[in-house]
Amino acid sequence: MGNILEVENLNIQFRLDEKYYTAVQDVSFSIREGETLGLVGESGCGKSVTSLSIMRLLQPPTQISGQIRYKGKNLLDLPEKQMRSIRGNEISMIFQEPMTSLNPVHRIGTQISESLILHKDLSGKQARQETIRLLQSVGIPRPEQIVDEFPHQLSGGMRQRVMIAIAMACKPQLLIADEPTTALDVTIQAQILDLMRKVARENRTSILLITHDLGVVAEMCDRVAVMYAGRIVEEGPVRQIFRNPQHPYTQGLLASLPKVDGPRTRLQPIEGNVPSLKNMPQGCRFAPRCRRAMDVCRQRDADFHLVEDAHRVRCWLHAE
Amino acid sequence: MAEALLQVEDLKKYFPIRRGVFQRTVGHVRAVDGISFTVQKGETLGVVGESGCGKSTMGRSILRLIEPTSGVVNFEGRNIVRLRKGQMQAMRRQMQLVFQDPYASLNPRFSIAQTLMEPMIIHNLYGSREERLDRVRRLLERVGLDADYARRYPHEFSGGQRQRIGIARALAVDPKLIILDEPVAALDVSVQSQVLNLLEDLQEELGLTYIFIAHDLSVVRHISDRILVLYLGRMMELVEAEELFADPLHPYTQALLSAVPVPDPDAKRERIILQGDLPSPANPPSGCPFHTRCPVAKPVCRERAPQWKEIKPKHYVACHAYA
Repeated sequence: MGNILEVENLNIQFRLDEKYYTAVQDVSFSIREGETLGLVGESGCGKSVTSLSIMRLLQPPTQISGQIRYKGKNLLDLPEKQMRSIRGNEISMIFQEPMTSLNPVHRIGTQISESLILHKDLSGKQARQETIRLLQSVGIPRPEQIVDEFPHQLSGGMRQRVMIAIAMACKPQLLIADEPTTALDVTIQAQILDLMRKVARENRTSILLITHDLGVVAEMCDRVAVMYAGRIVEEGPVRQIFRNPQHPYTQGLLASLPKVDGPRTRLQPIEGNVPSLKNMPQGCRFAPRCRRAMDVCRQRDADFHLVEDAHRVRCWLHAE
Repeated sequence: MAEALLQVEDLKKYFPIRRGVFQRTVGHVRAVDGISFTVQKGETLGVVGESGCGKSTMGRSILRLIEPTSGVVNFEGRNIVRLRKGQMQAMRRQMQLVFQDPYASLNPRFSIAQTLMEPMIIHNLYGSREERLDRVRRLLERVGLDADYARRYPHEFSGGQRQRIGIARALAVDPKLIILDEPVAALDVSVQSQVLNLLEDLQEELGLTYIFIAHDLSVVRHISDRILVLYLGRMMELVEAEELFADPLHPYTQALLSAVPVPDPDAKRERIILQGDLPSPANPPSGCPFHTRCPVAKPVCRERAPQWKEIKPKHYVACHAYA
């Protein structure tokens, strides 16, 4: 199985008050065919910006460097016209807010068939039939009627189903899902995760799943990359990350979660707060909150060290 | 401990739906539809449910921030629903609310000192400005912030710090009961546990009683003594926290618990995936409100609402399966 996506040394800088600040630094990861990679982290860690850069949805003055190779082609070098034939066709995206990511003045059917007509060259009539089939496949009742309705007539869970139908319309090879269930109730979340798994399996779609919810990661992902303050701090197969976390941040995140079974003990929080873009600490960005920080951590950031097969961690504790 | 601080009996809040030129009432949204429970002194009652289940409306109706349609709310034996405006105002010193959104619930033009002193001024506590400022400094330290932050403004703080300020504001008037409405939902995972620990410490030191409203089941299990499960404004189940997770009796509770993603890739669980969406509280199903999505619904569930019954000791359920 080859890699469908390879991100190498991605750097993203934002301009704020005439100065550039690095939001994403030296991020590298890859996704294999049919694989689901979870990108986890807290607010401001750069996980959403990373996904937007893959779709080339970031505009100047934001600066991007590095490589984003999709099937060997660097997306950052493609002319906009070629990028357009990939976006929504081979790579598509689901956003967190099903309320704001659908166009309120267009009918559901128009929004789904748009990409079918654009990318798959279907006639209006064929596209409508395919749209109804898609709505049915994402579990929408009465698809023949819903196709002519407007987004406000649907519930949050139904709108997210429509988003999935739009994203899957052209059978993409890569689906980027940015917090796809965060705005939903848990019983609806269970339905949507189930649906995403089903459609991905049927179409052999790879998924880049961006989330802050470690429960969702454990359930959906094959591999996980943990981000903190713009860098990947640990990456590996999902079982190893949960069973044998190596970075103090990953360990801290897992230890701070309240549990649904077992005895109730006092929570072990990570002290302090996530640093802001304008006040990034020197050296390892987690050092000020790390209980095991050493002098070297405050001076220079660590490189990646291999823990086990395909499990790597960016931490001085693992340097020989 | 076995002393009731708050008793809620058959609390209802119906919001009228008005239509047309004359704004005629054409129906009601039954946000809270007959809720009864007791909270003991020093206890934490968790309230869970999905959007539209009425959990927030319930919290606000208990404090009369919105007027309940009917029902009784006894606070230390006094029915506060009957109190006149002035009496109620004085009563609010005993019962405070902490909101979900730490960004929207602090006035951006007030310094932290002004924010924390306002409730003291309203309730005429502490004679002079100096005494109040002193109290503000002690409150900030109590919630784990630097006393010098009193001079700063909300925009200078992170979400977790703002939530600490919101808690300090609730504590400013020495309340007995604090209703916490999704107090950690907007916070990052690593900060959420800091705030939960703070709430536990404060409860122990000050003997506070909490009603903790949340949708995150693992958080509610962690902090609550007992948990009340709501669905479309009605009570489904009420029991001690660990028992609810070990032996959920109501089909809705079972489905809700099975839907929670567990941070363990090896967890093998049978998931009950509920079909369909939450019905609208403006037009709730007849009988048991859950029957439209219930995997074990019987004909009787459509006809009559089930009774609230003690199925096991101190384990209450409203379900025809146990009739």
